[in-house]
Amino acid sequence: MLKLLHAELLKIVVKPRSYIGFAAITVIVLLIEFALWLDGQSYLQFILQTLEQSFDVQGNILNGNLVAFIILQTLIVQMPLLVALISGDLVSGEAAMGTIRLLLTKPFTRGEILWAKFFAASIYVFLLILWLGLLALGIGLLVFGPGDLTVLKSDELIIVRAGDTLWRFFAAFGIAFLSLSVVSAFSLMLSCFTDNSIGPIITAMAVIILFTIIGTLEVPLFDLIKPFLFTTHMIVWRNVFEHPLDWPLIRNSSAILLLHIAVFLSVAFYYFKRKDIYN
Amino acid sequence: MIRCILIVMCTLCLHTLSGQASPKRLIQEVNRKFAAVKDYSAVLNMRFDIPSVRMEPVQGKVFYKQPDKFRIRAEGILFMPRQNPYFTLQSIRDTNAYTAIFAGEEVIAGARAAVVNVIPYDAGGELILARLWIDASKKLILKSQLTTKSNGTIGVEYVYGTAQNFALPDKMIFSIDVARFKIPKAVAVDINSKTNVQKSPPKGTGTIELFFSAYKLNQQLSDEVFRAE
Repeated sequence: MLKLLHAELLKIVVKPRSYIGFAAITVIVLLIEFALWLDGQSYLQFILQTLEQSFDVQGNILNGNLVAFIILQTLIVQMPLLVALISGDLVSGEAAMGTIRLLLTKPFTRGEILWAKFFAASIYVFLLILWLGLLALGIGLLVFGPGDLTVLKSDELIIVRAGDTLWRFFAAFGIAFLSLSVVSAFSLMLSCFTDNSIGPIITAMAVIILFTIIGTLEVPLFDLIKPFLFTTHMIVWRNVFEHPLDWPLIRNSSAILLLHIAVFLSVAFYYFKRKDIYN
Repeated sequence: MIRCILIVMCTLCLHTLSGQASPKRLIQEVNRKFAAVKDYSAVLNMRFDIPSVRMEPVQGKVFYKQPDKFRIRAEGILFMPRQNPYFTLQSIRDTNAYTAIFAGEEVIAGARAAVVNVIPYDAGGELILARLWIDASKKLILKSQLTTKSNGTIGVEYVYGTAQNFALPDKMIFSIDVARFKIPKAVAVDINSKTNVQKSPPKGTGTIELFFSAYKLNQQLSDEVFRAE
């Protein structure tokens, strides 16, 4: 199994597209940090103008924690697309190249092969989040310094004390990992259905975009659908920064995300084990 | 007949004069108490109840030096009134700068208080009108309501304890008008969240509670303490 995992990781490493995600995250994070370093005070002035009419807001608001939070808000919505780019190709890409037949002649069961592919994709997701964390939080704290985190919402602000932020970021990264694993399992499932590599990637991206749009629009009809979309539960990482914490909501959404992974993987395993290989 | 009219007019004038002098004397007595404080430091606990802002209490230290130096040292983000907490006492220090009128009596927290309206002569100043509830027996301001040019109406309630001989409160409660906080979702990058319109009314009142303890008076604080970091 470890040999298989090693081989799958090697396949991801040699593919140039695996680095698109890391490159995109690096460019976006550094760009946001540079923009906030240059003009963050005016951004904050715009946000706080209503409150500053009544209060003298004291303290270092533009700090590394706020910068990391803004980056997470911006990027976590886009990251599923970067994950789909890799995991949507894991089976179908091999089918398209004709290497899947060779792989299946090896002394491993189809189940083991699919597990190895999913674990390899999960390691990729983990590294992607780790890279995001290092750039967003690490460089953010280094450049902007520590301080209380101001959680920005469209209709309220939540001030989280500096000493209470680090574990929240780790929890948020943990939930982000779970969310991206759903995307990984979903695109892996789609990947089992076809023999061309582009189809599952595009389908996974289209589904994520569609679900995100439905989640963004405040239409009463969509409110009925939203609880059934995995993208609705993927943003539960933000609730980790609430005060007080809504643990039942976080637990519920995390369980739903795990359930999605289980369902997508079950379908993938069921189909892949019975799949006829023609290429 | 003319004599009768003159007597009535004189009585009215005397009544008006006595009415004006009396509240100012009361204010002067309050000022005299506070004037004994050249400077002080104290431990400060702050509690916030501001519409659209959720934050935990903060602890810090407070420093004050006559006539108007005030500084809070605390870690993290704070929401404070735009004026320093002694803005009321500073505004009424110069009794020649305003007119003071008695506006009746009220009971505040079980104590009888004289209600005094203060109207500054300078129409261009920050203070437009102050309404003070003064405990005449203890010579303490129990409550004030300030109408300011830049911040609207600010209400302050005072609770006294250990340092009441110096007119220093143990607790101050500020009530400040706050407009509804609303920023575009794109600016807050707050997509996918449901807007709760009912939660926040267009305008509300924010409350800041300041708890003072461990007062240290007249330690000859240096100006360095008040310098911004």
